[in-house]
Amino acid sequence: MTAVLVIEGIAIILLALLVVGLLRSNADVMRALHELGAGEPGSDGSSRRRHRHQAPTREGASPDVAGSSLSGSAVHVGVSGAPHSTLLAFLSTGCSACVGLWEGLRTGVGMIGADDTRLVVVTKGAEAESESRLRELAPQGVSLVQSTDAWVDYEVPVSPYFVLVDGPSGAVIGEGSASSWDQVSSLMSQALADATSGRRDRLENGEFRADAELRKAGILPGDPSLYPEGPPQEDSEG
Amino acid sequence: MVRSAGIEVSVPSGWDAEIYRREADFAPQSGTPGASRPVVHLGTFPLPQGRGDFGSGAVEIMSADDLLVVLFEYGPESVGTALFARSGVPRVAAADFAPNNMQRPIAGQSGAQYFFNESGRAFCLYVVLGAHARRQELIPEVNHLLAGLTIDPA
Repeated sequence: MTAVLVIEGIAIILLALLVVGLLRSNADVMRALHELGAGEPGSDGSSRRRHRHQAPTREGASPDVAGSSLSGSAVHVGVSGAPHSTLLAFLSTGCSACVGLWEGLRTGVGMIGADDTRLVVVTKGAEAESESRLRELAPQGVSLVQSTDAWVDYEVPVSPYFVLVDGPSGAVIGEGSASSWDQVSSLMSQALADATSGRRDRLENGEFRADAELRKAGILPGDPSLYPEGPPQEDSEG
Repeated sequence: MVRSAGIEVSVPSGWDAEIYRREADFAPQSGTPGASRPVVHLGTFPLPQGRGDFGSGAVEIMSADDLLVVLFEYGPESVGTALFARSGVPRVAAADFAPNNMQRPIAGQSGAQYFFNESGRAFCLYVVLGAHARRQELIPEVNHLLAGLTIDPA
């Protein structure tokens, strides 16, 4: 009898240890999934993009670009807080898809139409680029910064890659890859139009302009005048 | 933050900055032949390429809201001379600015120039305001910038 009780006790202790181990393992898996953003809105991999497009704050503003010029000087390009938009063109000397874009810059095709948009070419630092090739490719009259940090800061996934930043808010208003300046122009024109449309619809505090006008007129959410055909029915379960 | 040639500046967000070296042969009061001197440019606007050491090519595109700050280092022979007797990075004051202090006068703008020594090195600080009429608003920004300037010993 005593032997049975001892064996049973040992079995219970082993099972308890097994349960504790499983719970710990489950917690590790859940923690890892949480860090990857699983289970949250935007878990399709858009978390980085969502962060970029959140309401602009000084803390969340896009970083300025600091690095070096081709002549070796230390340079800093103001992006957030500038009165104009900045188009950051992340190009590389080793990328075959960039060749046409470099050529377009040299011939002037790469000038973006919007007058208040500044073009800045950003390559990786000297450790990752061919200096001699860069001297051949670098266009005259266009700001060029060598900054591996900027590639990291803007989480550039491929080259060529373009990021359009609204200066006053510091928000990224468009980004993507393109293999010709026509595509870049189209991509950025659309982004600028969307951003302008958004600005027109909303006030500085983020409130919809229409909502503010209605509120000033004393019409608040739920006001009967908003529902000429009767108040909306509450959703009901069965 | 931008740093080169023993000069470090905490650059406010949205400003442009560059620290480059000017060959002494092309610099006023050049020192040892062949030596080069650091030049710092800071602007609240996109600094154009090909601008002059004291901002020619840049001041022409400044708006009324803009500021240009130039720090130009002179050779070691200048240290200890009367022109550079003032010690420490200066702070600017509204009374220092006048339109005729510009290297080349531009309508509405004004400038101020300060010669000083710091850490055994001789410098000229040259500041241009986009609008003289707005100097009371613009000058605190300059002094804030200068507070973030560090110069290493020669």
